[in-house]
Amino acid sequence: MAPSKNATDVSMRINNESNVLHSQDDMGVEQLSDEVLAAQVARGESHALETLYDRYASTVLGISVKIMDDQAAAEDVLQETFWRVWRSAASYQSQRGSFTGWLFRIARNLAIDAYRRRNIRPRPITDVDDNDSKIDQTPDPSMDVAEQSQLLLNNKQVLSALATLPRMQRQVIEMAYYYGMTRQEIAEATGEALGTIHTRARLALQKLREELQRDEFED
Amino acid sequence: MDKQIEELLSFYALDALNDEEKELVEAYLKEHPEARPQVEEMGNAVSALAYAVPPVDPSPRSKEALMRRVAADQRAASVTRNQHSQSRELKAGNIFQAFSMAVAIVAIVWAVILNTQLGQLRNEVLTLRNAIVAQASSLEQINQSVDQINAKLPQEIPSAVLTISLKGTDVQPQAQGQLIVDPNSESAVLVIAGLDQLEAGKTYQVWLIDGGTPVSAGLLTVDENGQGVFIVTSEEAIGSFNALGISIEPEGGSPQPTGDIVVLSEL
Repeated sequence: MAPSKNATDVSMRINNESNVLHSQDDMGVEQLSDEVLAAQVARGESHALETLYDRYASTVLGISVKIMDDQAAAEDVLQETFWRVWRSAASYQSQRGSFTGWLFRIARNLAIDAYRRRNIRPRPITDVDDNDSKIDQTPDPSMDVAEQSQLLLNNKQVLSALATLPRMQRQVIEMAYYYGMTRQEIAEATGEALGTIHTRARLALQKLREELQRDEFED
Repeated sequence: MDKQIEELLSFYALDALNDEEKELVEAYLKEHPEARPQVEEMGNAVSALAYAVPPVDPSPRSKEALMRRVAADQRAASVTRNQHSQSRELKAGNIFQAFSMAVAIVAIVWAVILNTQLGQLRNEVLTLRNAIVAQASSLEQINQSVDQINAKLPQEIPSAVLTISLKGTDVQPQAQGQLIVDPNSESAVLVIAGLDQLEAGKTYQVWLIDGGTPVSAGLLTVDENGQGVFIVTSEEAIGSFNALGISIEPEGGSPQPTGDIVVLSEL
């Protein structure tokens, strides 16, 4: 997991870790940061992609299943997501944000596009809320204990932060994030004024950020 | 901050804007970089939403399929790199090959030209040799002819052939001629020109004069131009006479000169 999102720190860490990687062959790729692995992927090192896959495939697939409600189709999105990482890693800029933010955005957009191509309407938001607030405790054998622990911790922290949001605010950001609905579509679906949707989205993200910072969330 | 942009920022962070709205926000952020940290903070919060969903274990086949695809891509990239490398080498090789080919062609053309020139020179040498041989042959023939002529000269050519100029007298001063004579011989060749045409019944008669006594050497006939060639004959050597004269005589000639003397010269 990436320990920090500070752009300067990330950049410095990449350089330091790259130097370490080149000078110490016995250092396992599992210990390298996402950003260093992404740089290795950009150089065409497939083992780095495999490591990133092991770290985030279950999360990416979770997002895809959440959006598509179809695991087989979501598995296709999973493959395509990491294929895009393989082909586009050079375009990733650590200064612009975390690797996971970039990775999950690719997965989300692919899943939403695939979902729309299948012309399936989103599930009603009321169904989503109640069913998706549970974490899958099934251990992933490809992940090491530290990664599994970090993933569980992240999941718990985010769910806790989301739980602090008023239902209507949470609903707006989930409709936007998981279903790719525009603000106008959300206003139409909820029957609320566009200005109200703007306010709910802004307040929801502000609250979510504050809660995650308070819990010292690390992506 | 612009009210419209502020309303869009949350949905920009959620990646839920249409393209037009997205461009609007990005243009704003480009002009107002001070707003970017706010957007990045919202973006971090949005990224965390990925962890809110239950993770789902992927099928091992997904990873296998992905890595097969990656391996195939690596092989293709390797082939492409090799092709590019080979292409570059081939390109360099082609340039060298083309240069070598050009040099070879120039050398071949030059060799052909030299060979042609050499052939021409050989032909010229051969022609000159033939010419030399021919000239040598001709020279030999000439020498042989000269030798033959020299061998014949003592018998056929008089030892002292003289050419004596003949002049007309006051009667026909335009007349002139030459007498080619070996004084030891009894004959000589008289070539005369400028003599007048004679009236009918008249003829020119040639006289060899020895001490005042003319001896007829024969009758001379001239053409319409007054020219004539006459073989002078005598019973004695021409050199024994001291003058030659031509007179106008009645047709058939005279035993002694009777008419005007038109040519008279000492021998």
